[in-house]
Amino acid sequence: MTLTIDIDGTETEVAPGTTVLEAVRAIGGYVPTLCFDERLDAFGACRVCMVGIEGLTVPVAACTTLCRDGMRVDTRDETALRVAAATVELVLSELPGPPAQHTELAVVANALGVDGGELRWPGEQHEHVHDERHPYLALQHELCISCGRCVRACDEVQGAFALTATGRGFGSNIAAGLDEGFRESACVSCGACADTCPTDAITELTLLALDSEEASGAL
Amino acid sequence: MSRNLVALIRRHHEQGAPTALEVLKIALEDHGEITDDDRRLASERSGLPEAAVHGVSTFYDDLLAPRGRRHVRVCTGTACFAATAGDHVTALSEGLGCALGARSDDGEVSLAETVCLGFCHSSPAVRDGETIDAGAGVVERVLAGTTSAAAEPTPLSVLDLPVLLAPAHDWIGLRYAVSTRGPESLLEEIKAAEVRGRGGAGFPAGAKWEFARRAEGERKFIVANGDEGDPGSYIDKLLMEDHPSLLLEGMALAGYAVGADHGFVLTRSEYPHSKPELELAATTARAAGILGPAVLGSRFSFDVTILEGAGSYVVGEETALLACIEGLRGTVSSRPPFPAQRGLYGMPTVVNNVETLCNIPMIARDGAQAYRELSPASATSGTKLVCFNERFRRPGVYEVCFGTTMGELCLELAGGLVDGHEIKALQIGGPLGGLLPGWKLDTPFDFEALATEGCMLGHGSIVAFDETTDMRALAVHLLHFGAAESCGKCFPCRIGLRRAHEMFLGTTPVRRDCLEALLETLELGSLCAHGGGMPAPIRSLLAHFPEELGLT
Repeated sequence: MTLTIDIDGTETEVAPGTTVLEAVRAIGGYVPTLCFDERLDAFGACRVCMVGIEGLTVPVAACTTLCRDGMRVDTRDETALRVAAATVELVLSELPGPPAQHTELAVVANALGVDGGELRWPGEQHEHVHDERHPYLALQHELCISCGRCVRACDEVQGAFALTATGRGFGSNIAAGLDEGFRESACVSCGACADTCPTDAITELTLLALDSEEASGAL
Repeated sequence: MSRNLVALIRRHHEQGAPTALEVLKIALEDHGEITDDDRRLASERSGLPEAAVHGVSTFYDDLLAPRGRRHVRVCTGTACFAATAGDHVTALSEGLGCALGARSDDGEVSLAETVCLGFCHSSPAVRDGETIDAGAGVVERVLAGTTSAAAEPTPLSVLDLPVLLAPAHDWIGLRYAVSTRGPESLLEEIKAAEVRGRGGAGFPAGAKWEFARRAEGERKFIVANGDEGDPGSYIDKLLMEDHPSLLLEGMALAGYAVGADHGFVLTRSEYPHSKPELELAATTARAAGILGPAVLGSRFSFDVTILEGAGSYVVGEETALLACIEGLRGTVSSRPPFPAQRGLYGMPTVVNNVETLCNIPMIARDGAQAYRELSPASATSGTKLVCFNERFRRPGVYEVCFGTTMGELCLELAGGLVDGHEIKALQIGGPLGGLLPGWKLDTPFDFEALATEGCMLGHGSIVAFDETTDMRALAVHLLHFGAAESCGKCFPCRIGLRRAHEMFLGTTPVRRDCLEALLETLELGSLCAHGGGMPAPIRSLLAHFPEELGLT
């Protein structure tokens, strides 16, 4: 049995259990995401993948909404895009500066037309805390947007359970082990966390960078 | 919620191991703080990886507040705000020489914020060690070291034969169900009774039960949500502490109808008497052959476990509640899967509010028809407990009929406000409920009628603000709570509530267009009712008291 759904005027057939986001991507469509990684279970945290559904008065998160037969999805729904853009604007307001251009966050902000110029809701930013105790993995806590991708990659891809979300509300962040850094934790240095991070909060220190830092006496 | 983590801890749970949260709470009670050794022990005993234990230990209020030899917790709930505008917090902090959330340098005393102690009838309330004192002069008594346990008002039912506040409890509904009627027949009776959930969302309880009954699972569970976090509400507190066996009967009936042999109650640490009272009632019921392997001599087996939370409002949301029972961080999970499909330890689970479950015994005993007729002026079945704050002349818990007007409740039953004060506005049903201005008291107390006014029935608390309340200060109070209690999972709530709070702090004019755009983002973007609902009272303030908000 398959379900027939309509995405922006294009009819497509999907298997039961398919999410709206999977269906959109399967036909080559685009819905921005921040907490989604196709290697991991959908999480539903970032609320950036909002889409309109005919018959519903409010937009829904595409990553956690299952397709229903006859569903009509509008990825250009004005309200959905307005909420998604506002959410990304909130994310930019918690960071110390504009995201590096190569990051997923920068790509999504560009796609939603959020330039990070004048923010409607400026306010407190995250404390600048760098953890470079591990030889290959660096943590910049002020860049963490609590998308949970690193924690889930460590859990679902590697099974190391070395990472956790910490705190709550605006104070949420991440930690390795008992906040003792990657090296003392159950981390196996697989790099899955750095690979999935959408903001450079976790990065792999390249040998080149290490060389240059050593040369300049920074290490 | 991580399926892998749940699988890890489930094996330990089945062997009778405590959860990580339980181990951390014991450590805190023992030596006043949580060390890395405590975290390692919690990890070892519960099966939860060390990092995840660290995450738990940084989530719950109780685990974070530093404790001195004397630990004082001051209630900053909405009823306490309505009573003093926050002056009691300042006075206590200055008098103790200890900042809020801090411990004195000599380690003698610590002062923590708590929301809420459920003494809204006698605000302000303070917990000094194990003693909860409340009412006029409480700050002076704390400072003089002469606190004593505050009294609680006698509850009252408007019915000749109270349903939820019956003075004596029989187990007739359960006895009848397990002896002569099958689970399907009981389920049909509950569906026919049209019981709507009393926790806030109003979802039909029978439908929830049916999903769980039809779901596949090697075991099924019943969970009573006793995490009554709404500031201003002390309804479930009364039920858990004064009518615990009524709740246990409701849970057993749910278990019988659904096919579950075990139930959990999650109580609040802010209500220190709830867990002991429920445990005593469960022990008594076991001794009488009512709970245990053969309920009332039948082939139905049902028992309960009572657990206590550790300070988090969002744990009242059902997926976060299940995470807390499992000893994990109390964050919200997206649905589907619904708890009825995959709930506690991955098993089909019914999560019902305490009061909802307390409605079940009467239906099992007297039938759906009698239950539907309890509120003659309304299409809603059954009765509702409401509670009033200290601003009223006769605060307390009352059992009332749906469809009664807010005026009848506030002016006749609760006697209007003290000292000739006027009702400026009411907040009904908790912090996610809109504000009903004092000139709209003809609104009926019912799900749909209140929704029309941008309000909600919620869990039934009624907090009055009198004419002296500064509405911008109220916005700051509400948004402080909202931001502090955000679980931090979804972005709109995690960042947006902080920003909304920041907008109202100080005296800078608030740009109305920016505020409304932020409220829309919260309403439409948030994952759960916390971020989605916190804008409701702010919308009410914008609608009814815009001139007091300092807008531009």
